[in-house]
Amino acid sequence: MAEFLEFVDVSKTFGRLRAVDHVSLGVRRGEFFSLLGPSGCGKTTLLRMLGGFEIPDTGRIYLDGVDITDLPPNRRQVNTIFQNYALFPHLSVWENIAFGLRVAKRPRREIFNEVERMLALIQMEEHAHKKPHQISGGQKQRVAIARALINKPSVLLLDEPLAALDLKLRQRMLIELDLIHDQVGITFLYVTHDQGEAMSLSDRIAVMNQGRIEQLGTPAEVYEAPRSSFVAAFIGDTNFFEGRVAEIINDDYILMQIDGFPSVVCFNDKKMKVNDLVYLSVRPEKFRISRERPQLDGRYNLISANVEDIIYLGSHTKYWVRVDEYRLAISQQHGRFLLDEQPIRWKDDVWIWWHADDGYMLERYSEADELLIQTPPEEVGQNGAVPAPPRAEV
Amino acid sequence: MKRSPLPLLTTLLVLVFFYLPIAVLVANSFNASRFGGTWEGFSLRWYSRLWHEREIWHAFRNTMLVATTATLVSTILGTSAAFALHRYHSRLQRFHYALIYTPLVIPEILMGMSLLLFFVALKIQLGLFTIFLAHVTFCISYVAMVVLARLQDFDFAIVEAAMDLGAGWWTTLWRVLVPLLAPGILAGALLAFTLSIDDFVISFFVAGPGSTTLPIRIYSMIKFGATPLINALSTILLVFTFLVVLLTHHLTREHHS
Amino acid sequence: MAPSRRTLHEILVTTPSFVWLSVLFCVPTLIVFAMTFKPADMYGGLGPGWTLETLRHLANPNYPAIIWRTIWLSAAATLISLVLSIPMAYYIARATPGLRNALLLLTIVPFWTNFLIRIFAWKILLHPEGFLKRALVAAGIIAPDTSLLYNPEAVLVVMVYTYLPFAILPIYAAAEKFDFHLLEAAMDLGASRLTAFRKVFLPGIRRGILTAFLMVFIPSLGSYVIPDVVGGPNSEMIGNKIAQRVFVDRNLPHASGLSAFLTLAVLVPLAVVWVVQKRTSGQPPTMQEVA
Repeated sequence: MAEFLEFVDVSKTFGRLRAVDHVSLGVRRGEFFSLLGPSGCGKTTLLRMLGGFEIPDTGRIYLDGVDITDLPPNRRQVNTIFQNYALFPHLSVWENIAFGLRVAKRPRREIFNEVERMLALIQMEEHAHKKPHQISGGQKQRVAIARALINKPSVLLLDEPLAALDLKLRQRMLIELDLIHDQVGITFLYVTHDQGEAMSLSDRIAVMNQGRIEQLGTPAEVYEAPRSSFVAAFIGDTNFFEGRVAEIINDDYILMQIDGFPSVVCFNDKKMKVNDLVYLSVRPEKFRISRERPQLDGRYNLISANVEDIIYLGSHTKYWVRVDEYRLAISQQHGRFLLDEQPIRWKDDVWIWWHADDGYMLERYSEADELLIQTPPEEVGQNGAVPAPPRAEV
Repeated sequence: MKRSPLPLLTTLLVLVFFYLPIAVLVANSFNASRFGGTWEGFSLRWYSRLWHEREIWHAFRNTMLVATTATLVSTILGTSAAFALHRYHSRLQRFHYALIYTPLVIPEILMGMSLLLFFVALKIQLGLFTIFLAHVTFCISYVAMVVLARLQDFDFAIVEAAMDLGAGWWTTLWRVLVPLLAPGILAGALLAFTLSIDDFVISFFVAGPGSTTLPIRIYSMIKFGATPLINALSTILLVFTFLVVLLTHHLTREHHS
Repeated sequence: MAPSRRTLHEILVTTPSFVWLSVLFCVPTLIVFAMTFKPADMYGGLGPGWTLETLRHLANPNYPAIIWRTIWLSAAATLISLVLSIPMAYYIARATPGLRNALLLLTIVPFWTNFLIRIFAWKILLHPEGFLKRALVAAGIIAPDTSLLYNPEAVLVVMVYTYLPFAILPIYAAAEKFDFHLLEAAMDLGASRLTAFRKVFLPGIRRGILTAFLMVFIPSLGSYVIPDVVGGPNSEMIGNKIAQRVFVDRNLPHASGLSAFLTLAVLVPLAVVWVVQKRTSGQPPTMQEVA
């Protein structure tokens, strides 16, 4: 494999903390690639090693076939958008953007043309002579992008570039980033802890945890087919089930025996055998919920449950239901005008069901990952009791 | 909500307390009378007398010589110390911080006394050179503290940004660090300069024959009564101080905007 | 592992100040303690050998009175400074930005003004033929033969005058960071204005108060010029005795002994503040308020 940008067995330790643990990773030319993970997972360290701000303890980094591991930052064909933009406060917007060309001692004519072109790209022409403290957060962000892009880097590194912005602005900048990536066509390496950002922008995502890459794939792959409980719980919500294979139905399906829970049919893509231990993840939106018993054909799991919590969120509603010992999170889209239907209420007995193909078997499971799953907020303080996490495993 | 008048009254009282003696002093410097008790008309005679005092000019020259050299050296040492304290958090820096901090809280007389003994023990001739050494010693801490405060709101990602954009070590220093930190370093240098000009206690302990500085001269004038001349001299120094404060204030303010 | 570039850089920027202060601050301070046990020679220098002569002299019955006076004058100056600077810092912190800047400037100017000049200004003000004395006599507040100068009260007033800005600035720095909505919250919860001030504001600016305490109390203990210029024989402090031993008697071991004692005395308030700060999980107080 000879990718455009390649990390080969890269590690970095700070004191006793192993920030990056033998990571190998390839990024394609022109790709929008995200490193996604919680704070402290090593994603920023990986980015900083590519930027040249940290030297790896082991491993090499190749860019376009050239080993850049030991090059200083100023001699790499990569540029960074820093978390708080790191604009030079003593220079105007214009001079900030021109900085890279000025230190490269390019002709004045060229500097002028390029800066004007960049200002047009980010639509900041009329703010060219302001100082960074006179422009808004979103504008600073755009200046930081222009300042980096003017150097025509092979890779643009973005370190949580939207973290300092408020929600509305974040959404707008998300679209702008996408547009800029399409326009300039260079490789973007994007670091974030926000799964929404990563999912909406990226061609591919590497989900990181504790210095390692848990899974690498397209947004749909990591969402629909998580390899570990960490990926399943960190990206979106889910319900975990732990059980054993009770019966092989045919080549594709098995019957799974779960203690204290009705046995369920599931798709056997991992080719499990009888008595194998299985961890199953079922996303809340894969469930259907109704007061009426539905007529189903095909491989559905239909179970009766009792509603414990409901949060109405406009476009959809979240339910937490109890099945024996288990508390399941269910999310239901409202495709139709809701007020015409008889609503599901607290303490109602309901039917829930999901298709056997909609659960996904995990390769690795850790109980700690259940803490990443969202709990219903009103649980807290109810009768002053400490809420039990919604868990559906034995 | 109604506020208590007490804070305002205290503030006014303190301001009167601060400026009454200074006002009387300045007024007296223009008073033709030899003693401050009565007003005998406006006069600049003390200023012109001051102009012709050769000893004052000599002391002034000494003070300036010490202040410029001590400021130069202590600004370099203090700035480098501030960088070390800001950038690193090792055990060494904890000790370093204590070393910088303690001279700020130790009474001047103790520093003067200990330096005197040090010079005597090493048989170093007391004079302008020993005053210079002493001044650098106490100025380092002040410069370091001022620059450190400025560094604390300095975002070091800017240095990385400059290198990321292709600037080498020297370019980063010259185009980014110096222009951004210059106001802070200058403020530290100004503080060192005024402290050096003002210092009496420590200088008095480590001064030798012929190394009279302006404050030492003022002290002997106070002790041996050349009152009207000190009034005039004090007024000149007050104006100078005021200008320095304004300048420093300006440097600080510009940075915060 | 060989020292990294980072370590080399740290050593490079640390060494200059570290070495300078070790040689010209730490070593001299240690010498003060050592010299206490040296005999004086007849020419104002140091004799050979070691002796306990100085310690015997420090037991001189004159000293306890001077030490006691040094402590109470310093404590009184600190207390008065705190009492004045807390309401003033409160006022400055709550003032509009323009007024705040003006007030700060007015506080900083005396702080930067030459120390001797400030003391001298008081000598002029309190002078027996000065305008204040005449005004007070004319108003019938004092008798014509009262002396405003050369007594412990004059020393106290000038000490407060000299060190007050050192108290106002750190307390202001703390008050500026204080969230004044907390006072409204306290009063909303039923606290009176005074209770809110005492239970919410004062704890909120604790750090500033502790710094102010150090900044006034410690230099006060070492006062020498103030009692020398505006004080009389009944207002001498330890600092005067040290100077006297150096400049008049030329007895360096005695001066060292007194200085060593003063150094130890200065460590006491430092240690107290350090312990108090430590308990509230702080670093040592900083002096960044200076500029």
